[in-house]
Amino acid sequence: MKIKFLRVLALLIVALMVLSACGGEETPTDAPVVEEPSEEAPVEEPEEPAMAEETNIVHYYSGDLGRKDMQAIIDGFNDSQTACIVTDNTTGHEDFKTQILVMLAGENPPDIFSYWAGARVQFVVDAGRLMEISDFWNENDLDNVILPGIQGAKDYSGGVYAVPQNYHFTGFFYNPKVMEAAGITEMPETWDELMVAAETLKENGVYAFALGSKERWPAQFWFDFLVGYTAGHEYRAKLQAGEASFADPEVQHAMELWKELVEKEYFHPDANAYVWTDAADQVANGDAAMHLMGTWTTGYWNDNGLVPGEDYDLLPFPVIDANIPVATYGPVDAWAIPSDAASADCAKELLKWFLTPDMQAKWALGQGALAATTGVDPSIYNVVMAKANDLINSGTMWIPAYDLSTPPPNAEVGLNMFAQFMDDPANYVQWLEEAQEASEAAFAALNQ
Amino acid sequence: MARERRKWIILLSILPLTIYTIIVIIPLLSSFFYSFTNWNGFNPEYKFVGFSNYLKVFQDRYFELAIKNTLIWMVAAFVLPVVTGLAIALVLHERIRFANFYKSLFFLPICLSLAVIGQVWIWIYQPDWGLINTVLRSVGLEQLAIAWLANKNTALYSVIVAWSWQQVGLAMVIFLAGLTSIPEELTEAAQIDGASYWQSLRYVIIPLLSPATTVVIALSIINSLKSFDVVYMMTGGGPFHSSDTLAMFMFNESFKKYFMGYGSAIAVVLFLIAMVIIAFYFRQVRQLEQLYD
Repeated sequence: MKIKFLRVLALLIVALMVLSACGGEETPTDAPVVEEPSEEAPVEEPEEPAMAEETNIVHYYSGDLGRKDMQAIIDGFNDSQTACIVTDNTTGHEDFKTQILVMLAGENPPDIFSYWAGARVQFVVDAGRLMEISDFWNENDLDNVILPGIQGAKDYSGGVYAVPQNYHFTGFFYNPKVMEAAGITEMPETWDELMVAAETLKENGVYAFALGSKERWPAQFWFDFLVGYTAGHEYRAKLQAGEASFADPEVQHAMELWKELVEKEYFHPDANAYVWTDAADQVANGDAAMHLMGTWTTGYWNDNGLVPGEDYDLLPFPVIDANIPVATYGPVDAWAIPSDAASADCAKELLKWFLTPDMQAKWALGQGALAATTGVDPSIYNVVMAKANDLINSGTMWIPAYDLSTPPPNAEVGLNMFAQFMDDPANYVQWLEEAQEASEAAFAALNQ
Repeated sequence: MARERRKWIILLSILPLTIYTIIVIIPLLSSFFYSFTNWNGFNPEYKFVGFSNYLKVFQDRYFELAIKNTLIWMVAAFVLPVVTGLAIALVLHERIRFANFYKSLFFLPICLSLAVIGQVWIWIYQPDWGLINTVLRSVGLEQLAIAWLANKNTALYSVIVAWSWQQVGLAMVIFLAGLTSIPEELTEAAQIDGASYWQSLRYVIIPLLSPATTVVIALSIINSLKSFDVVYMMTGGGPFHSSDTLAMFMFNESFKKYFMGYGSAIAVVLFLIAMVIIAFYFRQVRQLEQLYD
């Protein structure tokens, strides 16, 4: 019996060996037969056809428009050369935040991925999971290619780890027809003027502001502007670094202003029930007059047939303290290469392709983004995007938004607090105290 | 012969056991291991922190809330699918017209993933044009038309209703199978003895359905402990933790806040709770088997 068992086992092992041998390089039966070269006539070795290197890209441009444009840009790259073949892997915008970190930590990284420049890139750099690409930056003279105002998005821990793809301007995107119907012809430039306009809109049966904070991040722009425009940009930077407290009087003052807007019912109700596109729809439909959002909202509206300058326009956030320089809080979308990317050379070639003026222009127009490179002719922008571009070029500071300028664990703390505030603004002091407690825990864990 | 059979059993078990070890046992042990560390889930470096994650678990008010929500969910899982599933099964067992059509209709949600169910119910709960609020407005109950998933008082219950929608189909099928196995002689005998429908239900059908009831209750409760996908889709545990279940809370702490060590400790606690319930379930099943033997 024992012998029989061993026979079966041996048979199994032999079968496995045979199978593994078969799984190796297989010669197709219809492969051309290469004759053995004779000594007299040396024959050149047949050239093996060059195999394109498979390159994987993961990005968060998962909306209809972004996916389509990115696919077209990648297809263009694949057609332009034969050395690399790029496979596009799109992930839902919110799921991406978790998924990319799991891929990197699981040592199963893509070869290149989109990421938000700022604290999120720093978080990955600190874990040693990004490739330094300072040489790539210098070899391609990117100092003269990328717009000077956003070059800060490249540097982390003394090296270059990210290359900007585009950036956004954040401000009030409004419905001019709604404003006109309410008799508002001069757009508010100061906080007091904004309050008057909001009251006028309310009297005309229109909510002044739409906000879709279901996914929390759209509320951060209110916090950014109110803290930055009242306590100053330096204070805000300290808060982002955990060197100031959510419970500080500076933050409380900003929240008081925000609370007043909610309590006076200037906001469309149930902000936490809607996503940002719902808020954009509320503005487009005339239920609300404006929403504080980034330039990507123009891409969404354009795609839905709205006409820039007629159906929507841009208003910079009104000045609260004339001594504080005007700024905008937005994202720089960038590209990064993992430290253990299998196809880093192809990833760099793809990066070069992304930065060509044609691809930059195509992307900026489709996305409602501002191009990251100097080579793009500003005349390509529509009237609203041109206004955003002019505001940046005329001295408006560009600062990364809240969740891009503080480490991700602390970003979570603030994002939760903003949504909680929108639900119950009256108890904002309690929410700030709780946020501070959670923030301290987040920074303590990071510094361990 | 028996020895040879045993050898074959061992030989054929190697592959499934290896797969099971890789995909279940090792991750399980890893969770235990990481629950004693401060790993953030991303940085390769971490330190051992002893039992501090477990101490934090029992001091965290949001963990307490997640436990409370999970208990509410378990009670709802005990009541909603069991009662509704039994009621539907009893009606459909009465050979009504189009019974098979109705069975398919009620069973349909089982064929859908909870992610799809979550999305469907997001539309149903949508505050402006969702089915529920549209109906409420059309019957003059405008004041009841609220943002169901954005309100911290209604979010959890709204998700439970969506989840139960699927579970009812499963309960119905199990109860129908149980009803089919009850000998007709018993219900006929009860009728001859003058028992009303409710009396025969109370004293004959429901007691004989106890194996099916045990299975339905156990499945519902175990599924409620696993409830993650539908919560993730519909509320993400929000607003402000109000619909956090243990599984959702564990995910948010691990992957959103990057406290993987702490998240692992929550996972271990969840595992232990599930083990107690499963042990209780098996005990009940064994007792029932002995009873019916």
